[in-house]
Parts: sequence; C-alpha cells; structure tokens
Amino acid sequence: MRKFLNGPWVLLMPTLIILTCVVLLPLLLSLWTSFTPFKLTKPDTLYRFVGFRNYERLIGDIDFWIAFGRTVLFLAIALNLELVFGLGIALLINKITYGQRTLRTLMMFPMMFSPILVGFQWKYIFNDNIGLMNNFLREFGVIQPIPWLVDGILANVSIMAAEIWSSTSVFAILLLAGLLGIPKDPIEAAKVDGCNSWQVFKNITLPFLMPFVFIAMTIRSLDVARAYDIVQMMTGGGPAKRTELLWTLISRTGYVDAKMGMANAMSYISIFLSIAFTFFFFYKLVEARQRLSYE
Amino acid sequence: MLRLFLSLILAVSFFGSFSAKAETELWGDFSGVTLRVKLIGGGQYEGLYNEVIPWWEENTGGKIEIVTQKNHFELDKEIKKDIASGNLDFCVASNHTSFASQYGNIYTDLNNIMPASVLADYTPLILEHSTVDGRLVQMPRHSDVSNLYYQKSLYEDADNKANFKAKYGYDLTPPETWDQVKDQAIFFSNPPDFYGTQYVGKEEAIAGRFYELVIANGGALFDEDYRPIFNSAAGVEALQWFIDLYNAKAVPDGVLNYLWDDTGLGFASGTIAMNLDWAGWAGFFNDPENSKVAGDIGLVRAPMGSGGLRTGWSGSHSFSMTESCPDKEAAASFLWALTSNKAQMIEARGGLSPTRPAIWDAIIAEKKAEGDEFMLMVFETFKMSLAEDAFTPPLIPEWIEFTNVLYPELQAAILGDKSPEDALATASKKATEIMEDAGYF
Repeated sequence: MRKFLNGPWVLLMPTLIILTCVVLLPLLLSLWTSFTPFKLTKPDTLYRFVGFRNYERLIGDIDFWIAFGRTVLFLAIALNLELVFGLGIALLINKITYGQRTLRTLMMFPMMFSPILVGFQWKYIFNDNIGLMNNFLREFGVIQPIPWLVDGILANVSIMAAEIWSSTSVFAILLLAGLLGIPKDPIEAAKVDGCNSWQVFKNITLPFLMPFVFIAMTIRSLDVARAYDIVQMMTGGGPAKRTELLWTLISRTGYVDAKMGMANAMSYISIFLSIAFTFFFFYKLVEARQRLSYE
Repeated sequence: MLRLFLSLILAVSFFGSFSAKAETELWGDFSGVTLRVKLIGGGQYEGLYNEVIPWWEENTGGKIEIVTQKNHFELDKEIKKDIASGNLDFCVASNHTSFASQYGNIYTDLNNIMPASVLADYTPLILEHSTVDGRLVQMPRHSDVSNLYYQKSLYEDADNKANFKAKYGYDLTPPETWDQVKDQAIFFSNPPDFYGTQYVGKEEAIAGRFYELVIANGGALFDEDYRPIFNSAAGVEALQWFIDLYNAKAVPDGVLNYLWDDTGLGFASGTIAMNLDWAGWAGFFNDPENSKVAGDIGLVRAPMGSGGLRTGWSGSHSFSMTESCPDKEAAASFLWALTSNKAQMIEARGGLSPTRPAIWDAIIAEKKAEGDEFMLMVFETFKMSLAEDAFTPPLIPEWIEFTNVLYPELQAAILGDKSPEDALATASKKATEIMEDAGYF
C-alpha cells in the first residue's frame, strides 16, 4: 500500500479521476443509452435494455446510410477545398513583406463569427427571392432566379461555400505557421541550382509543409461538426433530405423526436467515421515526418 | 390546494376605453416568493411580459425570474432535456396545445388548482383542447388559426376580371375553395416578380398545412386506432395541390425552405397575391411603414376543400405550471395574470386571437368605436373561423415525431423526386412504425 501511495499512480490519480468523470462516464452512459429505447420525455426508458435493436434498425435504414455517405462526401470535398484555398492564401501572405500582420488579422475574421451567424448570413446570400447572389446575377441577365437552397446539388454547394468561407482561415493560419518555420537554405540552394518556382514548391516547400497539412486536416476533421449550425440555419437538412448530414439527422432524432437512444446509436456508428478520418490523417502525418527526417 | 390567503374576488376590470365583463381575479400576497419561469421569446410574444410581469409583481409582492426566453422549438428541446435530467426547477413555462402531450406528467392538472369561476372565463372548447388525458395542463394565452389575406386591388382590376373569366369560365372573386385558390394563384403569377401565393414548406408547418387540407378534402390522418390512413384519395388530392402550384411556378422556388416569418414578410413585400396566415400578422400587413400592401388588404375565411369543409388547423399558445413547483398558489396567480382580461386585451390590440369570449366582444367593440374597419374585419373573420372551422391536430405525444417523417416525403413529391402515392406510402409506413412503437396497436 505504502509502495502504491509513493508511486506514480498517486500523481496520475487526479488526471484519471477528472478524465473518468468528464470523458469516460458520459461516453459509457451514451453507449448504454444506444442499447435502450431511451426517450428524453420518458426517463424510465433509460433502464429498458433492448440489445442491438437500434443498431439493427439503422443497418436497414436507407435514409441513415444516405446521410452517412453524404457526410463523408461533404467532409472529403470541404476539407480538401479548404486545404487548397488555405494553402493558396498562406503562400500569398508569406510572399508579401508589407502589411502581413494586418492581413493575418483580417484573415481570421470569418473564424470570429459563430456558425449560427454564418448560416443566417449565407442563407440570405443564397435566398432565391431577395438574396444577394440572385440579384447580382440578375445584373448580368440571369432573370430566372436560381433556387440555390432547393436544388440537390446547388444546395450542397451553397452549404459547402458557407463552411469553406468560415473555416479556410484555420488552414491558412496553420500552414502559414509552417511556412514561416521552413529553413531558407534549401530553398536558396535549389534556386542557385536552377530550380524554377514550381520545382522549389513541389520538392522543398510542400514536403516541409506536409506535417502541418495533416495536423490541420486532423484538427478540422474533428472540428468540422461545428458546421451543424450552418446546415441547420441554411436548409435544416432539406428540402426532401437533399442536404441531410449525420449531424442534422442525429440532432433531430435526439432533441426534436426526443429519441436519444436511437440518436446515440447513430452517433456511435458515425464515431467510426471520425476515427477513420483521424487515423488516416495521423498515419499520413507520421509518414510525412519520417520522410522529412530521411531527407 | 390553494392557501387561504389567496384572495379570490369577483371584480370588474377597466382598461382603455372598454369595460369587459366581470372577471374572476386571482391575487394574493406572495411577498418573498420568486417564481422561475421559462417563456417563449420573440417580438410578438415579449410585449405581454413587459406589461404583465411588473403588474403582477406590484400587486402580489412576488418576483418573477425569467430563466429562459427563446423560440418555441428551442424551448421545446430545453424542456425535453430538463425532463431527461430530472431538473425541473422552474414553476411556469410557455406551452402549446400541439406540444403539450409530449411532456408526460410534468405539468400540474390545473383543474385542481384553478377555481371553477376562473376557468369559466375561457372558451370551453379551447380549454378542452388544452386538456391531455383528462388533465388541464395549460392556460390558453391566444389561439392560432389561419385565414386568407389577399391584395384587394387585384380583384378590382377590370382587365383581371375579364381575362380570368375568359380563361377559367367563372368570375374573379376572393376564393371560396382551394381549387379556386390554385386557379387564381396561377392566373396572378408572373415569376420571378410576382407570385399567386406561397406556403410554409418544411417541418411541422407544411405537415400541418397538409393535414388541414386532407381534413377539408374529407379525409383523415389516422383512424380511431391511430393507424395512418392519409395515403388516400383525399391525401393524394391534398398533396397534388402543393405540387401543382410548385410546378406552375405560382409559388416562389425557395418555398420549401419557408417558415412563418418568410410567408408573412413575403406578403408584406407586395409580391404575393394571396397568403394563408394567422391574425397576428394583420397589424403588420396594414402598417405602411412595414408593408407595401397596407390599405389594400382583403381577408376571407380559409377556403373549402373538396369535402366541403374549410381548412382550420388550430392550436393555442399557453402557459403551464410544473408539478414540482413549490409555490403553486403564486404560480396559479401568475398563470391567471398572463391570461387575464388585461393580458388578452394587450395581445388582441396587436391582432392576436383571445381565448376569452369577453375579450372578443371587447376588442370588436373597441375597433368599432375607433372606426378601424380593417381590424374589425380581421377580428370578425377570425372569431367566426375559430368558432366554426378550427380543429386541432391529433393531441398525441407522437405528433411532432410524426410530422418529422411526413414532411420530407411531402417535399420529395413537391420537388418531383417521388410520385404523391409513393411519398405518402413511405410516410405512412414510417408513421405506422412510430405508432406501433408507441403501443397504439
């Protein structure tokens, strides 16, 4: 006992207790509810075990899997476009010598808006009747209003535009930090050896930057569910489920229909999605670091 | 039971230029009592609190602490979370007849709290709609039903009259049936500058509109065992009405994302010929500062469906008292104050429909005396509509969950993703699962 009290476990105990209370217990409770028909409005249902019934229903629920697939597609496209735009912005800002601080501050403005406000703002921009976009297009002779938030493809593109506007600066800031940390010697040596700008970027800048890319990707893939508010404000997952993502579906099931047991079962299936994305990006991060150290 | 010091007096209330009928008042000395309350927020609702809360505090010595003030859908989510966590540490909350049955037994049966003489001041049918499983769980604040606003000048225009008669073979007059609404909406439309009508296009809103049209067409959503029966001729006809207007571009393209504010503001913008809406918008529509159609508004009772019935989806905003409230006497007094003659007159002056017969008479008398022909028309139309046409949705806890499986299917049919029959068959299958899970059959 004395040995235990003097050992490292004692020092770890506060952390373990806090982690258990704040992370582990809520996770276990929500896992338990996914095996029950728990309804928020009927607390007694928390104690009725129904085994895998919620999961069995979800396996056969085509709406859930369509929302799942759409979420994967949304994540893949949005994150990659944010990376491309963020990298472009970071490279441009890295080039300038005057006003860089001001631009860096301006670049962070979209991050300061709450996702709900971003959703309202872009809903107005894409409103088919009074929206800025259709009025702008009208100036160029597009008389028939485009139903941005109704058409299946356009509605998803509109939501993605809002999400990309809101979050590209996260990539830009992280990548800019990476760019500022790249040693100048290899770049100057390459230029002396006759490499053009593209060759310098491809063979020196990008490999140095890849760890930052994957760190940014990992952070954003975990954080992207914040876009729930944007989707909820702009379309609510509709019309006719055309923009339904896992987040809107889970939220409606859990809080509007009050079926928290089913919503948690959906969440646990979707957690695999998050784990898969995170695992992939960590794997790529380690790989990029190793490649960098070999070189 | 109420404590003895709760005074129960019969008094005559005087406010403004009008003297309402005798009202049973429910005052008491509640010094030292603080009531925690959760209220619906938003421009149309908060004016009442600004007047009634100081009035109640001054007369009773009690205090009101507003814990939450947010829109009804957010409030609904919060209360569901409170139920799940067992954290019902408030006394009074806003409620609605469409929502009340979801909340189980958290709200007190007011039949045991409110004196019969107080309850006698409310419209009996509305109290009946406020009752869940035999328990009166809410005091009605104001009622909702929708009637059809239209731009009068369109119907007075000689060219419109002649062209319409030539095209449709009958006179252009404010519509009496939903088929006429469809004809006239298509006739008036000139997209993208002007549309014949519009409808709320998502969530419970479109599900409710579909429901009332099914009823007006002679159908029903459920049989007596709560088996879905809306996948019927009446249901398909109702859904086809929405589809036809959408395909004819007689409604804006974005209508499937519209909710109540969008349709109200749309009509006020002057780009919509006809708008089915509640009385709460009337004052706004006729205010030249807010509305381009001010002074040019007509109003008729909601039209009839093919079954010869008028649409009349109705409900009431209300207030409830929690079973866990430690100061039920004070809460009862506050509930009365929030729905008293004084409170209802404040809201009626803004165009809302009262739940006390005395206030209907009073507001109509007041508008007559003021010579306000427009608001007089509004109140007389809505009074008749609430008396003769109004019906509630099924007062079952599964109503909202049911609307959440119905509305995406309605939208899919309107957008042409599915046929009306396929959409209703899918919705019916999902609704059957909900009802089976809930143990109805």
